[in-house]
Order: sequence, then structure tokens, then C-alpha cells
Amino acid sequence: MTTVDYPILQARDLRKIFPVSGGRKLVAVDGVSFDLVPGKTLALVGESGSGKSTVARCLVRLVEPTSGKVWLDGMSIIELDPVALSKTYRRVQMVFQDPNASLNPRMTVREVVHEPLWLHLRMPKDQREARARRLMELVGLTYAHLDRYPHELSGGQRQRVGIARAIAVEPDIVILDEPTASLDVSVRGQILELLLDLQKKLNLAYLFISHDLQVVQHVAHRVAVMYLGGIVEVGPTAAVFGHPEHPYTRALLSAAPVAKWGAKRQRLRLAGEISSPIDPPDACRLVGRCPLEQPSCAKARPPLTEIGDEHSVACPVVTAGDRAVPSAA
Amino acid sequence: MSEAILEVRNYSGAFRSATGDLTPILEDVSYRLKTGAMTAVVGETGSGKSLTALSVLGLQPATFVRTSGEILFKGRNLVTLEEREIRAVRGAQISMVFQDARAAMNPVFTVGSQLADVYRLHHGSSKREAMAKAIDALRRVYIPEPERRARQYPHEFSGGMAQRAMIALAALICQPQLLILDEPTTGLDVTIQAEIMELIVDLTKNSGLTTCLITHDLGVVAETCDEVVVMNSGRVLETASAEAIFTAPQNPYTRKLLAASQLVQSEAEAA
Amino acid sequence: MASRDQTEAADVFPTEAVQIFESSEQAQPVAPLSTAGKPARRKRAPLSWSMRIGLGILGFYLTVAILSLFWTPYDPFSPGVGSAYSPPSSEFLLGTDRIGADIFSRLLAGARYDLGICLISVFISLTVGSTLGVIAGYWGGAIDIVIMRVVEAFQAFPGLLFAMLMVQAVGPGIPNVIMVLSFVGIPDYLRLARADVRSKRDWQYAEAARMVGNRSWRVAFRHLLPNSLGPLLAFTSINAAFVALITASLGFLGLGLDPNTPEWGNMIARGQEGVMTGEWWMSFFPGLAILGMTGTFYLLGDAVSDLTDPRRRQ
Repeated sequence: MTTVDYPILQARDLRKIFPVSGGRKLVAVDGVSFDLVPGKTLALVGESGSGKSTVARCLVRLVEPTSGKVWLDGMSIIELDPVALSKTYRRVQMVFQDPNASLNPRMTVREVVHEPLWLHLRMPKDQREARARRLMELVGLTYAHLDRYPHELSGGQRQRVGIARAIAVEPDIVILDEPTASLDVSVRGQILELLLDLQKKLNLAYLFISHDLQVVQHVAHRVAVMYLGGIVEVGPTAAVFGHPEHPYTRALLSAAPVAKWGAKRQRLRLAGEISSPIDPPDACRLVGRCPLEQPSCAKARPPLTEIGDEHSVACPVVTAGDRAVPSAA
Repeated sequence: MSEAILEVRNYSGAFRSATGDLTPILEDVSYRLKTGAMTAVVGETGSGKSLTALSVLGLQPATFVRTSGEILFKGRNLVTLEEREIRAVRGAQISMVFQDARAAMNPVFTVGSQLADVYRLHHGSSKREAMAKAIDALRRVYIPEPERRARQYPHEFSGGMAQRAMIALAALICQPQLLILDEPTTGLDVTIQAEIMELIVDLTKNSGLTTCLITHDLGVVAETCDEVVVMNSGRVLETASAEAIFTAPQNPYTRKLLAASQLVQSEAEAA
Repeated sequence: MASRDQTEAADVFPTEAVQIFESSEQAQPVAPLSTAGKPARRKRAPLSWSMRIGLGILGFYLTVAILSLFWTPYDPFSPGVGSAYSPPSSEFLLGTDRIGADIFSRLLAGARYDLGICLISVFISLTVGSTLGVIAGYWGGAIDIVIMRVVEAFQAFPGLLFAMLMVQAVGPGIPNVIMVLSFVGIPDYLRLARADVRSKRDWQYAEAARMVGNRSWRVAFRHLLPNSLGPLLAFTSINAAFVALITASLGFLGLGLDPNTPEWGNMIARGQEGVMTGEWWMSFFPGLAILGMTGTFYLLGDAVSDLTDPRRRQ
């Protein structure tokens, strides 16, 4: 992989396993690796059970990964003690999905935004206030909003506060966990524009987690598609959306409804339901559902193989060149 | 012009607060549901689309007060009906599917028994016959191994499967003439969503059902619906065929909503 | 990579033209019908009648307790200010007891003891119990196991029995009584706090609090605990009523306090034979006082928790 841009964060082989009753293991994240580059957005796309939110939390150790490595600017953050870990949060921040649940209902906006400035930067009060006001400007709120409580704001406004909180300490990386999922359609576009604008201004690296393909196409430079804890396809957005290779990516893309009249889609269907993440066998996770399935698919878990310019797929059938899907009835 | 099985006419209402103040919430809502067609009522949160639908079946919250208007079902005004009369309408003539299927089912009874119970309530038959109908309904909504599934409890169903069971209940067990679905696929994965919508379209065409889909997702509407009603802040802004709404929207809010759904700068915003 | 120093916000944040984004909530094409949800007036929602009566009576008791420090018709501690067993009269408003002490004065003074001991114990129970509960709920693991087992051991005894045994063990005296009564209440606050914190521990604002730089103890106490206050404060009224009754019971049994103390339970004990022989006033009025105080605590019920919820400020 060419490294024109120096990656600010590198995750290698992240794994998260939850023990489940009966001595079994729930594999939530199964060997995920990626890089984050300043000023660029990597999107993690997947449906429920894909493990994308768990990956995000493992990255900042809100959930402790079972194994794997994460380097922030060359420094490994997996073994850090709690104090040092707390300091890394100055450089990696998070915007959460539900603006209702991610703001403390008893804190005013001012307190929410001041808190990281004090805890991370030890800014004196007047500087904090100045920065708080600047943040309000940047995210499109007014100074009056500083006095409000979360329940007095609309969903979009609350999310803006969440974004202000995240960029307050000028992080290098912002992890966005479904930031527009809880918002109305008309507000969504503005929040995304805000995020893009802030990315340019502050040269932020974004890890954008979403299940919404349209949103991802709008904001991401690179896309990684996840299924049952593993990345099945990764590449530049145009490549993944323009000519998706992995059967799951194609199923996902073809299932997303388009708000245009007369847009016909050829749906690629996956049979059955998503298989269990508990004690998964060493095979492709799509076994039993995939229209391209070969006997060899059940033998071992396929690795990510490069098939194009920085575009990789975890499917031996596709990599071998046989893309034809039996046509839908 | 085809008949309208349901007509909401100048329906207005307000919320009554604890102190007795009335806060207007719906203003002069009017639209018609054409018989046999699939109509979408589209709007964002707070538009009043769900509230109007709940009012059809008398399920509106107790704090809601109707200030004027009527809701006609086959010519009969539903808002003036007694509780006993509206109960006869619920399920048998008008049925509703809600967003969170697993929450809508009773967790202590098996799915099959819940479906069978409702069947007996509406059609009165033996337990065995009712259970057979329940299993058949599950089969018709493409739930695999319906006999085994009927003996399972709601929490053992996945989200998508539970929603299928609800659709089986509302459309096949109840056999209504009008089916209202309130955000039936919100919260479901996109692949599951596509399948559920196909199922709904399938049932509408094959059972001669009239369907009203309440949603904020214009993509789903574009693919499945015949007619569209656009609501905002308690008012109806535009009603037209789906083709007209998507190809030539008249109201600026509709245009803005369409643009936002396609994540494109609309003329209104760029101005 | 250069480290970022603390500089003026305007310097570090880019200074090129800032686009102010209008949020669509303010640029609606259709005027919104209702004003619900708009940040406007901050007036408090009115108190219900039960709250007003409860607060009024409690205020009355408090006033009496404080005033009794400065003035009572007679010295509540001295016997023989009047002849024994005299019924209520203009001289002795509520009569005298069997050693001739004025019941009215003792009743007034008694408020200090019953109310004072009760409120202080509840306060201690609340703070200690919720702190331990937050610790057990947030950190979990071994700490949680140890704390819960100890709590369960304490809760194995019925409240009054436990109080009696402990008072015998630690000896008499007001501080000891307060300490014992605090112990009686701690388990329930602990469980409530623990349950609430456990459920909210993984919520997004707890995660956000950690991202923002809070160390664990700050997340637990500065963020989670204040949001768990609702059920805790609602419980204080039940707890207070219970403690009031136990205080009086201990006094009645002659445990913990000096026998001459004008505590209401003690007064009932002293006047108990009068119930049968016709000197009803000796036990009746202290009994009434206890009833009033306990009932008031119940009345206050939800009042306290509602008052601290920022969402009430409509």
C-alpha cells in the first residue's frame, strides 16, 4: 500500500471476544486492520452485528480489545495505563450516535464544552469561555445556546454540541459513531456538511461508522465493509460503490433504496439470515448464504486480497475471477 | 377515479397540558387513501403523521384532543364512534403494524399462540384450527420452519422476523381492508428492510389490501408506493401520485426533503 | 510531530471566514404550530397540594425544634414543676406527667431529638449509602462482591431488632443512636445507587465523559451519581419515616437515650400506665407528634426528587 500520507493511526489485527455462558465465545471483532490518515475519512460500513461500533470502542479502549495493536502517531496505546490513556483522548475524540444519551442531562452546553478544555488542556476560565464561543460559531450555534440544557435543544442542535465537545481540544482524529442516524433527513445534510467543513479546517482524520450507504458515499474517501466482525471489502469510495466485488457488498448496495422515481435495482440476494457470532467456524462468514459459494469457502477464512488500486476483497471466488452471479428469478 | 376507502377531512387537534392549555398539533389535515393502492404519508419527526394514523383507530394518546374534522372509513365517521364500535373496526377492518415488533408482542406467550388467539377472536374457531391458521400465516410471510417458530417466544425472533410475524398478524390473521404501517422498517438492517417491503407490496397486490405506509424514508416510498402525502408541523403540504412527487414536486418543503434524501444541495439551500 | 501548546483559541483555530450554518430548525418553510420545545421561560411547574401541605408541616416541626432551644414554658428536663398527673389546663397546656414535668415543654423540646436524629441519620445514610453504591455499581468485580455480601449480612436483621442490638453493643448516647440509625438505612440507598449506576455505566454520556478526560471516579461521581439522585431522594421520605419510628421505638424501650430525655417515644413510655387509668394526655400528645411527623414524610414523597430534576424547569 502506498503511503503518500503518513497515517496518524494504525490498527492491526484487532480482535474482541466476549465470553458467553457455557464457555463459548462471542467473536465481535475478528482481526480488523486499517489506517487513518489526517484530512481523510475512512468509513466502516455494516449492518447490526458487523462489529463496527465495537471496533470504534476498541480503538479508544472504551472496550478493551482481546488482542491486536493500535499505534497513535507511532506510539502504541494498547498497553497504556489509565492516566496515560486519558491523555491520548486529547488526540482521539468521539462523536456518539444518540445525542440524547451522549449529553449529561444535568449539564448546560457551556459545562459540556468547558469540561474537556479544563481536563485535557487545563485552560483558565476566560480562555475556556473564549474557546467555547468560538466552538459555537464553528458548529453553527449561537452564544445563547451555551446556557441551555440538552432537553431544551433539538436533535440536530444536540448533535452539534456533541461535535463541538469533540473538537474542543483540537484532536487529530475524530471517531464518528453513526452521527446522523438519530437525526431527521433535512438536518442530516447540514451536519454532514459541517463535519466535512471542520475536517478541512482542522485537518482531522475521521473514522466514520455508519450503516447508511448514502451518507458514507457523501463523506468518505475510503470505505471498509464489515460483516460479522471482519472486513470483507475495502477500497476508495468510488471503487467500492462503483464496482463492488464482494457478494455482501453487492447485496448491501443493491438493497439500499434510492429516492428517485423509476430507479430499478437488480438485487443480489443473500439466502437465510446472518449466522451466529458465537464460536464461528474457520470458514467464510457468508457460508450458507452466498450465491457464489464454492466448497472451498467452508474450509478456511478468506484473507483480504488486493484486486485493484488499493482495493481489497476477502473472497477467493471473486479474486479468482469468477464474478458471475446466477441471475435472480 | 377510484374510491377512497379512508378519508381524513379537515382533522385538527391539540395536546392538553396538565394546566389545561391547548397546544395545537394538527391543523386541517386532509388526505384520501385510494382503495387498493399503497399510499405513503411522509414527514419528519413532529410532522403529525403517526398521530393522525393513531387517531384513525382511536389509539391517540389521552392528552390529545380533537378540535375539528372527521375521519371517514367507507363513509362512516370513525371519530364519533363508541369504544365498542371502534373495537369492532380494529383488526377486522383496519389493522396496524408498529415500528418495534418485538415490543408489540406479549413476551410471555409464544408467537403462534398470540396469532392463534387473535384468529379465534375474529373468526371464532377451534384452538387447533386457529393454530393451523397461525402457522400458515407465518409460512406465507416466508418465515422458515413455521411450525417450530410458532412455538417460540418473541425474544427468540430477530427484528426482521418479528416484523414479519406482526405483518402476518395484522394482514393475514386479521384480514382487514386497510393496513396501516407506522415506520415498519425503521431500525432494521437495510437488507432486511428490502425484504420486508417486498413482502408488504406482495401482500397488497395479492390480497386486495389498501396500505398506508407512514415513513420518513423517501427511498422506500419511491420504490413501493403509488400515492404520497407530505406532512410537516401538523399540516399536509402536498398530495400527489408518487411519480409526480418525485419528478415534479410542487411544494418547496417537498423539494427540500427530496434533495436532503439524495444529499444534494437544493436550490432553496444554495440561495 | 510538534506538540500543541495552549495558545489563544483564535490563533490555533483557523481564522479564515467562518461559515455560519443555519440550522434547519430555525429556517422552516412552514411556521411551526406549537411553541413546545422552544427554550423560553424557566418558571417552575407548580407544586401539588400534597407537597405544599407536607412542606408546610415539616417547616412547622423544624421551627418548633429550633425555637425550643430558646424558649419553652417550663424546663423540659426538670421534674416537679407542677403536681404529677395533672390534666391539660391553662397553666400546663398539655398536662403533666407522672413526675410532674410539663408535657408541653417536653413535647416542644422533643422535636429537637426526634426530628434532629431522624434528619441527620437520613443524611448520613444517603451520603454513605449512595457513595458505596456508586463504587459497587461502577467498578464492580471484587469490590462489588465484598460490599454486597456485607450489606446482605446487615439486611438479614429486621430494622428495629438490628437497631436494638447495635445500641446495646455500642452503648447509649445521641451520637451512637445516630450512627446506629444511619446503618439501618444504608443498605437501601446502596442498592438503589448501585442498580442505577450499573444500568447507566455503559450509556453514551458515561463514555463521552471518559473521552473528555474524566478519570473513573469523576465519571462515577460527577456524572453518573447526580443523574441517579431521583430514586435516591424519593427514598429519603420513606427512609425518614422509618427512622422516625425506630427512634421513637428505641426511646420507648428505654434504649440509647438518657431516661430523662424529652424524646417522644420516651414520653409515651413514661405515660403508658396512664392510658389505662385515665391520664390519657401523657401518651397521647407525643404519639400525635410522632404520627404527624411520619405522615409528613410520606406526604413529601416525590416532592424532593422532582425539585432537583432540571427537566422540571419548564
